[in-house]
Amino acid sequence: MKTEMAMGKKKVQWFWTWIFGSVILRLILIYFPKNLNLSSRPEVSTPLTSIRRLAEGYWLKQSSMSPYAGSMYHGSPLLLTLLGPLTVTRIEGQPDHLLCSLVFVMADVVAAMLICAAGKKLQAAYSSSLQFIGLHHLLENSDVLPSGDFAALVYLWNPFTIVACVGLSTSAIENLMVVLSLYGACARLAPVAAFGWVMATHLSLYPAILIIPLTLLLGYGPDAPPRKLFWRRKNPEVDNPTSSDRSCLEDESINEKRMLNIFSWRPVVLFLFWALLWSSYVLVLCGIYVQQHGGLREMFKRTYGFILTIQDLSPNIGALWYFFAEVFDFFRSFFLIVFHGNILLMIVPLALRLNHRPFFLAFVYIVISSMLKSYPSVGDSALYLGLLGLFAYELKDMQFSFFLFSGYVGVSLLSPVMHNLWIWRGTGNANFYFATAIGYACLQVLYLFSLIFTSLLVLILLLSLFSPLVFLN
Amino acid sequence: MVESVTPKPRVRPFLRLGIFLISHSNYVSIVCFVSGIVALLLLPILAKNTYVSENALMPGSANNMLSTHHVSHANKFINDLTDSHIDSHKIIAQYMSALDAEVTYHKFYPQLNQFHPLHFFTSPDSGIVSKNISCSSLGINIAGIIRAPRGDGKEAIVLVTPYNPKKVGPAEALSLGIAYSVFSLLSRVTWLAKDVIWLVADSQYGEYSAVSAWLREYQAPAFHEAEIVNSETCNDSDAIDELGHNPYFDRKLYSGFRRAGTMAAALVIKVAEQGNHHEDNLNIYAEASNGQMPNLDLINIVNYLAVHKQGLRMKVKKTFSLLGSRWLNTLGGVFESLGKIAKSLNPQWKFGISATEYVEGAATLASSLYFQGLGVPTGPHGAFRDYQVDAITMEISPKVSPTKMIRRNEFILRGGRLIEGVVRSINNLLEKFHQSFFLYLLTSPGKFVSVGVYMIPFALLVAPLPIVAASLHADANKYTPQSTSSSEVDVSHKSWKWLNSARKVLVIHLWGAVVSLLPYFLCQIPNSTPTTNFTVWGLLSASSLLILYFILDSSIFEAATSQPEKSEWASLKSVTISTAFIGLSLMSVINFATAEIGALLIVPICLMARPLKLDTRARSLRTLLRATCNLALGFIAFPPVAYVLMKGAFEDFYGTSVGDYWNWVESLWTWNSATYLYVGIVHLPCWALCIHILFHSC
Repeated sequence: MKTEMAMGKKKVQWFWTWIFGSVILRLILIYFPKNLNLSSRPEVSTPLTSIRRLAEGYWLKQSSMSPYAGSMYHGSPLLLTLLGPLTVTRIEGQPDHLLCSLVFVMADVVAAMLICAAGKKLQAAYSSSLQFIGLHHLLENSDVLPSGDFAALVYLWNPFTIVACVGLSTSAIENLMVVLSLYGACARLAPVAAFGWVMATHLSLYPAILIIPLTLLLGYGPDAPPRKLFWRRKNPEVDNPTSSDRSCLEDESINEKRMLNIFSWRPVVLFLFWALLWSSYVLVLCGIYVQQHGGLREMFKRTYGFILTIQDLSPNIGALWYFFAEVFDFFRSFFLIVFHGNILLMIVPLALRLNHRPFFLAFVYIVISSMLKSYPSVGDSALYLGLLGLFAYELKDMQFSFFLFSGYVGVSLLSPVMHNLWIWRGTGNANFYFATAIGYACLQVLYLFSLIFTSLLVLILLLSLFSPLVFLN
Repeated sequence: MVESVTPKPRVRPFLRLGIFLISHSNYVSIVCFVSGIVALLLLPILAKNTYVSENALMPGSANNMLSTHHVSHANKFINDLTDSHIDSHKIIAQYMSALDAEVTYHKFYPQLNQFHPLHFFTSPDSGIVSKNISCSSLGINIAGIIRAPRGDGKEAIVLVTPYNPKKVGPAEALSLGIAYSVFSLLSRVTWLAKDVIWLVADSQYGEYSAVSAWLREYQAPAFHEAEIVNSETCNDSDAIDELGHNPYFDRKLYSGFRRAGTMAAALVIKVAEQGNHHEDNLNIYAEASNGQMPNLDLINIVNYLAVHKQGLRMKVKKTFSLLGSRWLNTLGGVFESLGKIAKSLNPQWKFGISATEYVEGAATLASSLYFQGLGVPTGPHGAFRDYQVDAITMEISPKVSPTKMIRRNEFILRGGRLIEGVVRSINNLLEKFHQSFFLYLLTSPGKFVSVGVYMIPFALLVAPLPIVAASLHADANKYTPQSTSSSEVDVSHKSWKWLNSARKVLVIHLWGAVVSLLPYFLCQIPNSTPTTNFTVWGLLSASSLLILYFILDSSIFEAATSQPEKSEWASLKSVTISTAFIGLSLMSVINFATAEIGALLIVPICLMARPLKLDTRARSLRTLLRATCNLALGFIAFPPVAYVLMKGAFEDFYGTSVGDYWNWVESLWTWNSATYLYVGIVHLPCWALCIHILFHSC
């Protein structure tokens, strides 16, 4: 017991050392802004997340113009009020955007903590449900990885996260909001979940689709084996009640209710209520801020409109900029509908298939939207790669893991080289850079495919493990 | 009953092909490697004739206008320049402004090249002026600009003549004379549509730094160089002020920096010091930093005009040691006879070239590869390439040395007409050079191998790497004890087992990065010879590796004890090979030649590496042979040894010392060559890992 405690203590210490280390690394990197020049890289800063555009927007606002004038800034007014003053304050002898960087570092750390907490909730729920259906031996003889800690460290040490943070991309804050909503839903804190969801949607629109997994998460509770298994478990119990005494049965029935309770409406309604409240609050704040400059209409046009119509065709790691640079103008709206419909098309089938695992569903949605969004950056990949750590237990048999890893390394190194070849040397052209974007997209598709495939395999494994139980009983 | 057996997945033909390749990885890698080398040797045969691709250029379609009148002016200019030993600036400026050109002086401090490990991924920097600058080290470039009568001032052509104001040699004077004759012609012609800039670069601190300083001021002016302006007061440039006040020149001498439009092309004109006793030659140098080449069309028009109009013999650099080598001659003979046989079978197959032609082509190709691979510019033209301006150095080497030249007028006329033709051709350009190739290797002035062809040998060389990596990865996974139904879940981390090896590989690559940063600190040590530097560097790297081994011993290098040892080295090798593949592929995009040479060195050892213990234990002839091969390959791939071998192959063995390697490395990093990063971050760690696998205890 004592040794276990000591082990646990040691582990906790080790965990905090690594978190501290990642913060130190970020701080070191922040002190070389000129050398790294990350904030001007197309992989890091998109028109939506660039700090330079934010500073420009703040400057416009300060000189009493609309912050959206001249198609420079396309983010939220709330970010302007939060980060804007920090972009202009300089400390003598320190890097230019030091205060902003510190905010992003803090956002990263908080997001990691939230991922860690969410992971703990998930794991507790998962093991209790496994215990319930009598498969707890699955947990005993595998060295249980504290997947929350693991995921938090993966998130913090992921080079993509570090690059996005040091490159002063506001995606760190967007990610924080997404993680916050997921954590809120896991912990069944409807106001927190609603706040995270409203803010994430307000900042980058795409997290709007997370409302489905969040609702499921609040309604059904965190990820569990398919409900089919509980039913199976329940039926034999009902058939021979002699196998256990009464009090135990009662206890179990309560537990069962929790497990089987199809959909608890209370938290969902609460969530919706809070979402309404928060969104009206956000809208009022924004309305006050942009009152002088065309009001909310203008704001929606310049933020969501900008995201949906893909006006900025400067290169990024997605494939859409190239496509819309090539496409004829009269087909433009058609393809806009096709590409955005693509995201919506996948929502329903996935929700039906994975409704017993709402958290995983949310994760899959995040991968899809970061793949198909109009201005993707490495910050988006950082989020889903970090969340992957939460499913370490299920996904340890993931196929092609080595191939995917090499692919990510290769593409992320090739992308700046191709950009250099195109922009600085002039010996390459746009196709060179676009080739890496295609490679990246293919990798993400493969990644998503193998993830879902593996999770279904785990499902089959569970079913096959469970089926003998039916006959034993 | 619920079926607990997972259905056997249907295998698609594509996957089946992949599985076939992976399961026969040994044969595949031998076939690929050998065919890669054969394809490399075939490149001189596959070379195509160059052709002027851009229609607008129209080289040689107009008659030359340069006459003896201009030449006699140039002669007078040369005489004035060589006779008066002081104030050569003044004379040049006088002559320039007499031609109605806008003349400006550009003062600069020679810039020390500094080590920027990250320079490659950033824009050309706006310059860090060294701290201890004195007035005496001031260099002065003179730039004369002729405004084009038919242009809008948005484009320009640059002529560069480097010269040393302290001591104007006859060859430099001659090159200045050629440029002057062309310049005097261009100041009077009516067809000029692009401004012409004649830059007389002060080469007393090196030609490259003078040109690059001027270019930096032209393209990316720095606004914080107040100190330079201030130091004018302490100047030794009284002559300039004097000139400025002279009423005769007043109208055309400007104090500020003058610009013309964007540069369409730049020509660096030089005259060789030594005569070559045969005939007038024209040497072309085109390699800029990191193996970048100017657009092939620029070389094409120079080649066309030199050969067909002026009767000059065009030359590019060759590796002379290869010319006499017996095996290459034999190979050329074999290819020649093969070509003859093919021709007798079908007269339309015309791929045979004569043996001598083959050897010449191979020697030129080798030097082309070598100088591109070094990543160090071969002349001041390299500075232009950093700003995406196509530029070449044309070195005209006369029959007799310039000091005792009798028919100087004729020589100037020939050189001048060549330059005039090229300028006129570029003047016709409507856009910047874009039609022809940027990525090519030359096998002779009139023949080239384009990127589509030369990528084939490289692709064949590296193709086995992912295949072998996949097969090893699959093998390593197979060795895991396949547990049965009860602990099926316990086969945990089966597909993540490579993470251990990946950690090891990552640590070694980080060590490589540390090793490549060490020279930055070492060169701060004052008064050290290359040999001591090299030794200290070697010792530091080795000790840092040892320290890494000891520190991380417990956590990383022994973490995998639970695994079967056999699969341990296999998975380590598979990760090593994949990183080598990624590194080589990246490098082939950055600098193809480095990647090609690097692949020749590192791929064999990567493919062959296998613990010596296993091989010696087996004690069969085959395994012992493999072990010795491994040792030999491991020795060859060690960077200093590889350097000595490369140097021996491309230059000569004489006078190779330990310090040479340090000097070579220093030259690489002062020129910000990506080759340096490649050697430090890809080649060295991969080599170390291969050696680690060789001596693996299993």
